[in-house]
Amino acid sequence: MKLSRRDLLVWSAGAAAGLLATPVPWKILDDTSIWSQNWPWIPQPARGPVETKQSVCTLCPKGCGLRVRMAAGWAVGVAGLNTHPLSRGALCPLAYAAHQLNWHPQRLRVVQHGTGSSSWEQARAAFAKASKEGPVVIIDGYPGRAASASFETYTEGRDGSYCVVPSPEIRALTPYESWTGVPADCFGYDLENTRTIVSFGTPLLDGWGTPGRFARIWAERAAGTSDPELRLIQIDSSMSRTAARAWRWMRIREGTEAALASGLARALLEQNLVPAHGLIPGTTLAESADQCDVSVEAILEMARNLIARSPTLVIARDNAPAIAALNILLGSVGARGGVVRHSQHSNLRSYAGSEVQNARAVLIDSSVPWNFVPQTDAEVFRFAAWDGGPTKADWLLPAPGFLEDLTDVPTPSASSVESYAVAAPLLKSATEVHSAAQFLSTIDARLIPTEKIIHNRCEDLFRRRVGTVHAHNAIPSSELASVQKLEEQLWQGGVWVGEPLPGKLPCRLKEWPSATPSSPADAWTTVWIPPVMPALSSKLYIESTLRDAPERRQA
Amino acid sequence: MRRWRNPLVFAFGVTVALFIGWVAFPRVLYSQKQQPLDFLHKTHAEKSGLTDCAECHVIREDGIFAGLPATEKCAGCHSERIGESKAEAILVESYIKPAQETPWLVYSRQPANVWFSHAIHVKRASLSCAECHSSHGEQNSVRMYELNRISGYSRDLWGHSMSRLRNGPHEGMKMSDCEKCHRQRNVEVGCLGCHQ
Repeated sequence: MKLSRRDLLVWSAGAAAGLLATPVPWKILDDTSIWSQNWPWIPQPARGPVETKQSVCTLCPKGCGLRVRMAAGWAVGVAGLNTHPLSRGALCPLAYAAHQLNWHPQRLRVVQHGTGSSSWEQARAAFAKASKEGPVVIIDGYPGRAASASFETYTEGRDGSYCVVPSPEIRALTPYESWTGVPADCFGYDLENTRTIVSFGTPLLDGWGTPGRFARIWAERAAGTSDPELRLIQIDSSMSRTAARAWRWMRIREGTEAALASGLARALLEQNLVPAHGLIPGTTLAESADQCDVSVEAILEMARNLIARSPTLVIARDNAPAIAALNILLGSVGARGGVVRHSQHSNLRSYAGSEVQNARAVLIDSSVPWNFVPQTDAEVFRFAAWDGGPTKADWLLPAPGFLEDLTDVPTPSASSVESYAVAAPLLKSATEVHSAAQFLSTIDARLIPTEKIIHNRCEDLFRRRVGTVHAHNAIPSSELASVQKLEEQLWQGGVWVGEPLPGKLPCRLKEWPSATPSSPADAWTTVWIPPVMPALSSKLYIESTLRDAPERRQA
Repeated sequence: MRRWRNPLVFAFGVTVALFIGWVAFPRVLYSQKQQPLDFLHKTHAEKSGLTDCAECHVIREDGIFAGLPATEKCAGCHSERIGESKAEAILVESYIKPAQETPWLVYSRQPANVWFSHAIHVKRASLSCAECHSSHGEQNSVRMYELNRISGYSRDLWGHSMSRLRNGPHEGMKMSDCEKCHRQRNVEVGCLGCHQ
C-alpha cells in the first residue's frame, strides 16, 4: 500500500487531535509558566534555616521596630514589630520593602571619583590630605548616634566643623528653643495625652513623625478604644489626606498659616478665652481673615474650638514662630498633652550653613538626604548607599545599606519620651562598603569604635536605672541585673524608653512673632524626603501617591 | 477498504499521539534522580521508636517549620556506624564525620513565591502529615526523585497521575490543590495568605 500526501495529512490531523487529549500541551504550558518564574537572572532567596529577628529601622531617624524574616542569613521579609512602644507595629512603605533596597540597581558598589571609578585607598589618601590642608566640615543628617560622636571628635582640634541637617519636625520646634533656652531636639509632642490637635498643614495622618504613631491614636479613637472625643483640626489650603480624615478642615489661602495663627491668637486674647499675656499680635482679625480668605466668624469659631477641649496642641509643619506662639497662649508648652521636654541632652549642633563655604573638604554622611547639596567649592566626599543621580560630590563612597552596619538609634524627633535602640548588622554587603565613621577611624586613631561608644551609652543608661526596656517583654531598667543584660536586649532589637520629664517650661516671648514664616533650611527642601534614600526612591515614594507633597496636591 | 482508509489513518495518528502523550512524554519530561542515601522511615519508626513525624521534622516554638533534620540530629545516634547498611555508611562517612548537611532532594519543595506555614496546617487545622505527604513515613525506602526538566520542580507538585483526574488528597501540591482543600474546609485566605 502506497502512502499518499493525503494519508500524511490525515495522519497529522489525527495526531494533532490525539495530542489534545494528552497532557502534552497543557503540561508544557503549565511548566513553561513556572519556568518563567525561575529564570536564572531572577534572584532567589537562599535556602537554609529560617528565623525571625528583631531590629530597628535605620532608613530614617524614626527608629521603627522591625521583624526581619531571614533565610540562610539573608533578609527575605520585613514587617512591623507590634511590641515596639514608639512605632507600635507600623512601618512606612519604604521599610516594608527595605530588604530589597540592598539589591537596588542604583546601589553604590564602587568608589567613584569624578566620572570614573577609584579605590578606598585613594579616597582615604585624598581626604587625609585635605584634612591637613584646611578645615573639614562633616555634615550629619541623623545626629545623636555613635557615629555622630566620631564625627565631632574628628573635627575637634582640626579647625573643622560638625554640622547637622535638621528634619522638618526639629525645625518646627526651633522657636521653643529661643523662648525657653532648651535645645529644639529635646522637645517633643505629647500626642498620646492631648485632646485637641491643631495642625497647620502638618501631614499628621500621612507620614509625619514616627509612622503609625498618630495614625494608631486616630484609629483607636475611631474604634472607641481611646478618647473618642479627640479632635484633629487640620488647617490646609487643599483637601490633603489628613484634612480629609480630620475632625474639622479649615481651608485657607496657601502660605497664610502664620497669618491665621496670628488671627487666632488675637481672637483668643480679645475674646478673653485665654489669660492676658501682655503681648498681642499686630495683625487684626479682619486683616487675618482677609489674608487667609476666611471670614472673621470662622476665625472666632476656630478660637472657641481651640479651648473647648484642652489640653490643646498646635503643630506647625516647619519653623513658624507665629504658629508655635499659639502653644504659649494656650499654656501647652511643658504641659501634659502639649509640647514637652523628653531629654536633658541635646544632639543638635550648628546647622549646615556658612561653614561649608570656607571648608577645604566637606564630608557628607549617608544619613543626609540626597537632595542636600552644599554650596561650596570645597572637595566633597559623599557617603551614600544608593546613587541618587547627578551630584556635585567629587567622591562618591559606597556606604552600608539597610541593616548592614552597626548603628544606634537615639530619640526620634517629635517623640514625647527619650528612647535608645541599637540596630545590629544583620546583613552582609556583597561588596566593600564603609560607613563614614569607619572611614574616619582608619584616618584618625583617636576615634573610638562605634561598638565601644554604644557600650558606653548602655552603661550610662544602666546607671540611670530609669525607664523600661521593651524587648519580647517590657522589663523595667531597674530589674536588669547588669549592663550586659541591657546590651543584650538592645542588640536583639529591644528599645529602651525613658520616662516623661515633669515640670513646666518658662517661656519668654519678648515680642509677638511676625506672621511671616521663616525657615533657614527652606533653601534646600520643604518636603520631608526620607534620609539615605536616593532621589529615585523618594520620587517613587511621592509618585506612588503614598504621600502627597504640597505642590502635587495643588496640581 | 478504500472508504475506511482515511478513518484508519486518522485513528492511527490519534493512537500514536496518545501513546506519545501518555507514555513517552512523562518519561521525557521527568528525569529520575537518586537520593544521596536510602533512608528507611519504617525502620526508624519500628526500631528507634520515632513514631511521631515531629520528632525529626520539628515545628519550632516560633512556628517556623525546621524542615528536614540537620545532620547534627542524625549524629545523635549515628556518630559512628551502628549497623551494616550501605546507607548508614554513606551517612556517617560522607556527611556526619565531615559535618556536612545531606543534600536531600525534597519532593514537596515549593517555588519561592509560595509562603506555606506548617504550624498553621498542623497545629491549628489539625491536619495529619499524611494528608499532604501520603504514607511517606511508612515506606522502607526512599522513592526516586523525579525532576521536571522544564519547571525544575519535583513531580510531586503536579502529582504522579499525569491526568490529575483522580488526585487523592495527598497527590498534587499545586495551587489548585491548595484551593480545593481550602474550599472543602471553608477556609478563605486570599492571595496574600500564600503569596506574601
